[in-house]
Amino acid sequence: MGFFALLSAALLCLAPGIARAQDSLQALLQQSTELVTDASRRTVGEVLAILVESGLPEVPLFLETWAAREVYFRDADGMFYYVEDADADPLVLIDITSGEAVGEVGSREIDQLLPNGGVRRVIAGALVQFQLSAEDPAARLAALEAIDDSPDESHLPLVSERLELEEDPQVRAAVEVLLPRLIIAFAEDETERVEAIESLAGNISLAARATLNPLLATTREVAQIVPDDANVARILEPGRDIGTIEAYVLLAEAELVPPLVSADQIRAVLEANIEGTEVGGVQVATLNTDDARAAAYAALVADGVVEAAPDADAIAAALESYVIYDTYREPSQAVTDAAANTLAGIETRVGFFEALDLSLDGLSLASIYFLAAIGLAITFGVMGVINMAHGEFIMMGAYTGFVVQSYVANETLSIAIAIPLAFVVTFAAGVAMERSVIRWLYHRPLETLLATFGISIALQQIVRQIFGPLTQPLTPPDWLAGSVELNDVVSISSIRVAIFILGAIFFVLLLLVLNKTRLGLEVRAVTQNPAMASAMGINPDRINMLTFGLGSGIAGIAGVAIGLFAQVVPDLGANYIVQSFMTVVVGGVGNIFGTLAGAALIGFLQKGIEWLNPSNTLAAQTYMILFVILFIQFRPRGIIALRGRAAGD
Amino acid sequence: MATLAATSAQAEIRVGILHSLTGTMAISETTLRDVMLMLIEQQNAAGGLLGEEIVPVVVDGASDWPTFAERTRDLIAVEEVDVIFCCWTSSSRKAILPVAEELNTMVFYPVQYEGEESSLNVFYTGAAPNQQAIPAVDYFLEELGVESFALLGTDYVYPRTTNRILEQYLLDAGIPQENIFVNYTPFGHSDWSSIVADVVALGETGEQVGVISTINGDANVGFYTELAAQEVSADDIPVVAFSVGEEELAGLDTGPLEGHLAAWNYFQSAESELNDEFIANWHAFTGDDTRVTNDPMEAHYIGFQMWVQAVEAAGTTDIDAVREEMYGLQVPNLTGGIAEMLPNHHLTKPVLIGEIRADGQFDIISQTEPVPGDAWTDYLEESAVLVSDWPGLGCGMYNTETETCVQLESNY
Repeated sequence: MGFFALLSAALLCLAPGIARAQDSLQALLQQSTELVTDASRRTVGEVLAILVESGLPEVPLFLETWAAREVYFRDADGMFYYVEDADADPLVLIDITSGEAVGEVGSREIDQLLPNGGVRRVIAGALVQFQLSAEDPAARLAALEAIDDSPDESHLPLVSERLELEEDPQVRAAVEVLLPRLIIAFAEDETERVEAIESLAGNISLAARATLNPLLATTREVAQIVPDDANVARILEPGRDIGTIEAYVLLAEAELVPPLVSADQIRAVLEANIEGTEVGGVQVATLNTDDARAAAYAALVADGVVEAAPDADAIAAALESYVIYDTYREPSQAVTDAAANTLAGIETRVGFFEALDLSLDGLSLASIYFLAAIGLAITFGVMGVINMAHGEFIMMGAYTGFVVQSYVANETLSIAIAIPLAFVVTFAAGVAMERSVIRWLYHRPLETLLATFGISIALQQIVRQIFGPLTQPLTPPDWLAGSVELNDVVSISSIRVAIFILGAIFFVLLLLVLNKTRLGLEVRAVTQNPAMASAMGINPDRINMLTFGLGSGIAGIAGVAIGLFAQVVPDLGANYIVQSFMTVVVGGVGNIFGTLAGAALIGFLQKGIEWLNPSNTLAAQTYMILFVILFIQFRPRGIIALRGRAAGD
Repeated sequence: MATLAATSAQAEIRVGILHSLTGTMAISETTLRDVMLMLIEQQNAAGGLLGEEIVPVVVDGASDWPTFAERTRDLIAVEEVDVIFCCWTSSSRKAILPVAEELNTMVFYPVQYEGEESSLNVFYTGAAPNQQAIPAVDYFLEELGVESFALLGTDYVYPRTTNRILEQYLLDAGIPQENIFVNYTPFGHSDWSSIVADVVALGETGEQVGVISTINGDANVGFYTELAAQEVSADDIPVVAFSVGEEELAGLDTGPLEGHLAAWNYFQSAESELNDEFIANWHAFTGDDTRVTNDPMEAHYIGFQMWVQAVEAAGTTDIDAVREEMYGLQVPNLTGGIAEMLPNHHLTKPVLIGEIRADGQFDIISQTEPVPGDAWTDYLEESAVLVSDWPGLGCGMYNTETETCVQLESNY
C-alpha cells in the first residue's frame, strides 16, 4: 500500500498535467475549470449538476471541502487539490480522488478557492441528498438547515421520508419543524397543505411567518370582468381604495385606454407644431399658462393633428368599464384563506410580544441610565456639585476592567476582581479631586463646572496617551455573551439582564447606606445644613470627601458594567454625561428614588420614540431632550421633589 | 545667519500632513500620519525630490472641523508647504475646501467618500460611491440574492449621501420601497438591541435580508456584538461594511464578525509583490510586526507616488504646473493593477470584497477590473447630468444638459 502511494505520488509529480482516467472527478472538473475557480451563485448549478450526476463516490467529500474553502487550484497544471495543513508553508498537496499526498508547493504558487456565501448555499443545497441519509446526525442537521435556507420542490419527498426513518430526537425535531413548511410551499394536495398551514396557528417564529407571508403575495391586475379562476384578494374601487388618476394610469399601462397627456407632453407637442408664430391658430407669445396651452392643444385636436387627451369624463367612463383587483399568486383559495386566517392570529400574538420586547428594551435602557447616573445622584443630587468629570470616572472604571483582564485571563474571575478594584480606583480619584479642586469651589457652581469640565478633557487625553485611541476589548464571560430568548420576537442579551440586576443591587445598597448607617445620617445632615451638622460634632469636610468618593466609586463600577456591552474608548464617559444629568434632573435632585424614576422615564420614553420613528435614532434623542426641557418647565424640581426642610433651601 | 536659514528653508520641499492625532478620529488618522512619514523617509533615502530633501510638516486637526480649516491656513501661509495630505471624515474635508481654494494649494484626500464633489484643489485618492458602495450592492443582489435591504449608518454627511444614492439605486433595480429599511444612529452608539431586532424582523416576509453598513468608528463593536448575541450569523443576514477595515478590527474580538463582509479597494491580504514589499517596509518602519495596513494607507501611497512623479515631470513644485502633470498619470496600485488619475481628480480603482477572518484579516472573495471614479453619481436625478473635467472643460461641476459650468468653487 505504502509503495503504491509512493509510486502514484511520484508519477503525479513527474507528469502533473495528465489527468487520470477520463471519468475521474479531476477530469470532470477540468471540463469547467472556470465555473469552479470563479464560481458565481447563478452559474455554479451547472457544474454541480454534472458532479452529482456522475455518481462518483468522492463527490460529497469534494463538495464539503469546497464549501469549507479547503480546495486549492494550481495555475501551473490547472489541477484541483486538497492540502494537508492550510497554515503550513510549503503546502502538502493531496490528490482529490486518492486522498494521498502528491507533492509540495509554496503558498504563492497555488490559489485557495474562496466560494462566496451565495455559492456555498447552492453547494449546501446539492449536498442535501448525500447528507440527509448520512450516518452522522450533525450532517443530517446541516442538510436540514441547507433546505431551510433555500427550499426546493425536490426536498419534499426526501424530508417526508426522513420523518418515517429518523430516530435521533434532535434531527427529528428539526424535521418536524421543516416538513410543514415544505408541504405548504410544494405539496400538491390542497387539504394536506391547509392542514399544514393550520398546524402553524399561534406559531410566532420567524420561519413560520416567512412560510405564510409569500402565500399571500398579490399582483394587481385589470380586466373587464374578473376571471372565474382568479383567486381574488380584493377588488379596488377607484376613488376610495386607489386614486382615480392612479387607477387610470394602471389601465393605460395595460394598454386598454389611451394614456394621459401631461403638461410637459402638451408643451412638447405644441413646440413640435409651431407654424410661423402660431400653434393651432393661437399666438405662441400668449401660451404662458397651462390653460392657454390646453386651449391650443384642443385646437390641434380639432384640426386632427394629434389625438385627444382623455378628459375627466373619459377617465370616469374608462374606470366604469374595467375592474381593478389584486389576485393572490397562489391559485388555491382554500390555501390563501387558511393562510390569511392563521397569519392574522399570529400577527396579534406577534404584536403582543413586540410590545413586551419593547418594554424589556426600555427597562434595560433605564437600568443602564440608572447605573450611569446613580453616582451622579450622590455627587450632584445630594451634594450639589456639578461634576462634569463624572463620565470620566465611568471611563476609568471601564479601563480598570480592561487592565485587570489583560492580567487575569479568566473572564469571570477578572470581572469579579475588576468590580471592587474599579470602586477603589475611582474612589481614590474622586477623593483626590475633591481634596484638590472641588472643596475650594463649594457654592461657586459656575467655577466648579468649568474646573471639572477641564479635568474631564485632561483625563480623556491622559487615557488616550496611555492606552492609545483604539477601542480596547473588555470581554464578558461566556455565560454572559448570549441572550435570553423567550421566542423569535422577545429576546434580550444576557449582559443587559446582568446590568439590570447590578442596577437593582446598587439601588438597594445605596438606599441602605444613606438611610440606615451612621455615614448616611451624617451625609444627610451635612447636605441639609453643614453649619448645624458641624455644631453637632460632624466633620463636614470629611463627610464631603467620603460622599464624593462614594459617588465616584459607584461611577467606576458602572464603568465596568457599561464597558462590557459598549466600547472601551477614552470618550466612553462623554457619551453618558448628558443622559446622567438629565436622569438626575428629571428624577428630582437629592434622592435615589428620583434617579430611579428619572431613569425609568427617560429609558422608556427613548425606546417609545425610537419605535415611533425607527429610521432615526438620533431624532429620538432630540425629541427626548425637547421633552425634558418642557418637563422641567412644569416640574422644575423633578418627578420626586423633596419638600420642607429636606429640600435644603 | 537668519537670512541664510530662511533661504535654505525655502529651498526644501515641504509636505504638509494634516490628520487628527487627538480626539475621536485619532484612532484612524494617526496611522495615516505614520504612513506619510514612512513614504517621505523612503523618498529621501532614494535621493529626495528634484535634488532636494522633503521635509514633513505634521499638524494635528484634533478631530475638530474648524481646527482643520485653521491648520490648513497655517500650513499654507506660515509653513509654506507645497502640498497637503489631509483628512479622514468628509466633514473635515468640507471644512478645509474654502481655505484650499482661496490660497490655491494642492490637497490629497485618501478616504472613501460620498462623491458629489470635485474641487480643482483636491485629488480624491479614495473611492467614490461607484467604486465601493454600488459594486457591493451589486454583489448583494447578484451573488447573495438579497431581496430586502437594511441601510444602517452613523448620522453624518457620508452615510446620508451614500444611502440616498443606494436607496435610489435599489429602487431602480426593482427592490420595492417597503423592502428598504434605513436607520441612522449617533457616533459611538451602543444600544443596538432594538435596531438589530428590527433588521431580523425584515425576514418575516421570507425574503433574504442583507445589511449595508455605513456605521462609523466605535459603534461597530456594539453592532456586531449585538448581532452575535441575537445569534444572527453572516449566513443568515450578511453585513457589508464600508468603514470597517484592518485597522478597525485590530484589537477587537473578531469572533462575532467572522464571515461578514467589507468592500474596499485594498486589503492587506491582497497577493502582489508590491504589497509584500509595502507591508515589510511598514513593519520595519514602525518596528511592530503586528501593525496592519489598510485601504486609506494605500490611497496615500498612490497619491504620494503620483505627486512625486508629477513634480519630477514638471521640474518644480509650483501648484499649477504640477496639477497639469497629474492628469493621466499612472501608478501601480498595491493589489496588482494600475491606478490612473482622471480629469475629474478621481482614480481608477479595482473593487474588492472581503470576508472577515478570525485573525482580523480578509479573505478576498471578489475583485473587479479597475473602475473609473465618478465624482457626480449617475443614480441621482440632479447629479446625473453633471460631469467634472478640469483639464478639458475647466470645470468641476459642468451641466451637460445646459452646457454650462454650474460653479467653480466647492461651496456646496
